[in-house]
Amino acid sequence: MKRKFDLYAMTWRLPIIFWQFLFFVGPLLFMVAISFFVVKNYRMTEALEMVNWQKMLSRNYFWDSYWYTIFIAGVSTTVAMVLAFPASFALAFRASDNLRRWAIFLLIIPFFTSYLVRTFSWYVILAESGVVNAMLGQIGLGPFKMLNTHFGTVVGYLTLTLPLVMILQTVTMANVDKTLIEAARNLGCKPLATIWRVVLPLSKTGLIIAALFCFILSFGDFVAPFYLGGSQEPTLPILILDTTKSGQQWPRAAVVAIMMMGTLFAIAFAAIALAYRKGGAR
Amino acid sequence: MDLDIHAGEFLAIMGSSGCGKTTTLRMLAGLDAPTSGEIRIGGELMNDVKPHERDTPLVWQSLALFPFLSARENVEFGLKMRGVGKDERKRRALEWLDRMEIGEFAERNVATLSGGQKQRVALARSLVMEPKMLLLDEPLSALDANLVIRMQAVLTRLQKELGITFVYVTHSQSEAFAMADRVVIMSQGEIAQVGSPKDIYRAPANRFVAEFVGRNNILAGRVTSQTDEYVCVSTPSGDFTAAAPADPRATGSPLTFAVSADLVSVSAEKPDSANTVHCTLISEEFIGSVVTLFLESVDGHEFKVQMQERDLIELDLCSGSQIWLSWLPENAHVLEGE
Repeated sequence: MKRKFDLYAMTWRLPIIFWQFLFFVGPLLFMVAISFFVVKNYRMTEALEMVNWQKMLSRNYFWDSYWYTIFIAGVSTTVAMVLAFPASFALAFRASDNLRRWAIFLLIIPFFTSYLVRTFSWYVILAESGVVNAMLGQIGLGPFKMLNTHFGTVVGYLTLTLPLVMILQTVTMANVDKTLIEAARNLGCKPLATIWRVVLPLSKTGLIIAALFCFILSFGDFVAPFYLGGSQEPTLPILILDTTKSGQQWPRAAVVAIMMMGTLFAIAFAAIALAYRKGGAR
Repeated sequence: MDLDIHAGEFLAIMGSSGCGKTTTLRMLAGLDAPTSGEIRIGGELMNDVKPHERDTPLVWQSLALFPFLSARENVEFGLKMRGVGKDERKRRALEWLDRMEIGEFAERNVATLSGGQKQRVALARSLVMEPKMLLLDEPLSALDANLVIRMQAVLTRLQKELGITFVYVTHSQSEAFAMADRVVIMSQGEIAQVGSPKDIYRAPANRFVAEFVGRNNILAGRVTSQTDEYVCVSTPSGDFTAAAPADPRATGSPLTFAVSADLVSVSAEKPDSANTVHCTLISEEFIGSVVTLFLESVDGHEFKVQMQERDLIELDLCSGSQIWLSWLPENAHVLEGE
C-alpha cells in the first residue's frame, strides 16, 4: 500500500520516533554491538569477535542458569495464578461493585513502597528464628529453612507479582457476562464446572496477559533470587551481575541479556497469539 | 401469586418493566429462589432443585450464546452437560440446526451470525434438550419488526408441533396476543388477570388491565339504578348504561367501566343512543389503516376512538372539530373494584 509522505503528520511523529531511537533502539543496538567486543587486561576493546557467544553458549553453567530461570519463573507464575484465582473470582463474582473497587485500591498500595523493602521484610518472617518458624515451633514443627531456597525465591517473586496478577484477573473476570454463567447452569452445567466451561474461555485473553506479565517480571527480577533465594543457583539476572563483576566481562553479560530478551520476545509473542486466537476450542 | 400452567399450552406473561414477570420465569428455572411459597413442575416440588438439575431451558433476552463456541457447539452444550456421547450430540445438534433452517451455519462462530440466525441458534440450543417446558424471556425484543413477525410464526408452529409448554415473557401486547393460548397480566408481582387474549382484550378484569391492554376508555361514577341486564352509572362526563356485572352493585356504590376504543362510534349529529358524549378532537394518530382519535369531553375527560382510516374520510375532521361519541351498553364492560 502506497502512502503519501505527509510532512505535517511526520512533524508530530518525529519526537516519539526520536525518543524511541535514542532510549530504546539505540541502547539495544549498542548492547548487541558490545556482545562482539573483547576484554583484554580488564579493558573492553571494540572488536567483532564471536568469542563471547561461543564461550557463553557452550558453558553448562549458562544453560543451567537459563533453564532454571525459566523453570522458577514458570513455577512462580503458576503459583501466582492459582493463588490469586479464588480471591479474584470472589472479587469478580461475589463482591459488590463497591467492595471490588476498594479491593483493587488496596491491591495497588503495595506498589507504593519499594520492592526491595518489601523483600527484606520477608527476612523477619522466613528466617530460621523468624515468625513462621516460631509459630510452627509452638505445635512442635520445624524449624524449616526457608531463606536461601527456591521457596524463598518464589516468595520474593510473589511479593512483586501477586497483587498485579490479582488485579488483572479480577478486572478480566468482572467483565464476564453473568448471563452466560446462568445460561450454562440452565443447560445443566454444575456450579464449579461453569468456571471451566464459561468463565475461563471468556476471560482467556486477560488471564494469559496476567500470566505473561507475571512471568516477565519474575524472569527479569534480580532482588528475590539474590536476597531470598541466596543465589546458590543463580538466575540469569544474577549471572549478569556475576559476569560483569568477574573481570569486567560486559560483553558476556550482554550475551546473557540478549538471550533473555530473545526468550521473552518469543514467549510474549506466543502468549499473545494464544490469547487472541479466535474461538473454536473447548 | 397463584398460577397453574397447563401442560402443552402457550402461556404469555405480560406486564410493564419491574412487574416481576422475568423473576417469575427465573424462579421456574431455579435461578432465583422464591422468598415463600411453592413451585411445582409436573406435581414435583421444585423449590430446592438446583438450576442445573432442572429440565427448564430458557431462551434469554440477550440470547446468551457462548461467543467462544460455534453454532453447533452452542447447541451441543446442554447435551454435553447431560453426558450425551460426541457423535450422538453432534447428530442431534445438526438435526435441530437444520430444522431451524440454519444448518449451513453450523460451524460458524456465533458472533458472525445475524440477529435472526442467532435467535434460531438460541432456540435450537434449548429445544435440543427435548424439554417438557420451554421458558422464553422477551426473545424477540432485539429483532426488527419484520423479523419479529416471522419468528412469531416459527415459535407458534414449533410449539404446536412439539406439543410442549411454552412460557413466554414479554412486554409486547402484539407478541403475547398473536401467539399465546392464555395470557397472564402481571402488576407489581401480582397477577392482575389470566385469560385468553380475547377475554383480556374484550373483558379486562380491572382498571389496571383495562389501562394496560389495548385502548380503553375508562369511566368511573356511581350506580344510579340496576336491572338484570343493565346498570346505570352517573359520571362527571354524563349518565351511561353498561352491561350488568356478575356481582350486583348497590345503588350509590362506586363503579368503573371500560369501553374499548374500537367499539366507539363517531358521528357529527347527536345519535340516538343510551351512551353519548360530546367531544372536541385534540389529535389523531395515523398508523396505516387504523386511526386513533384523541378527544376531550366537556368535563375534561380524555376519550380515545379507533377506527378505519376509510371511515374517517367521510367525517372530514380537523383538530378542534366537535363530534359525538356513542357506544352500545353491552360494549361497556364493568371492571372489578371501585
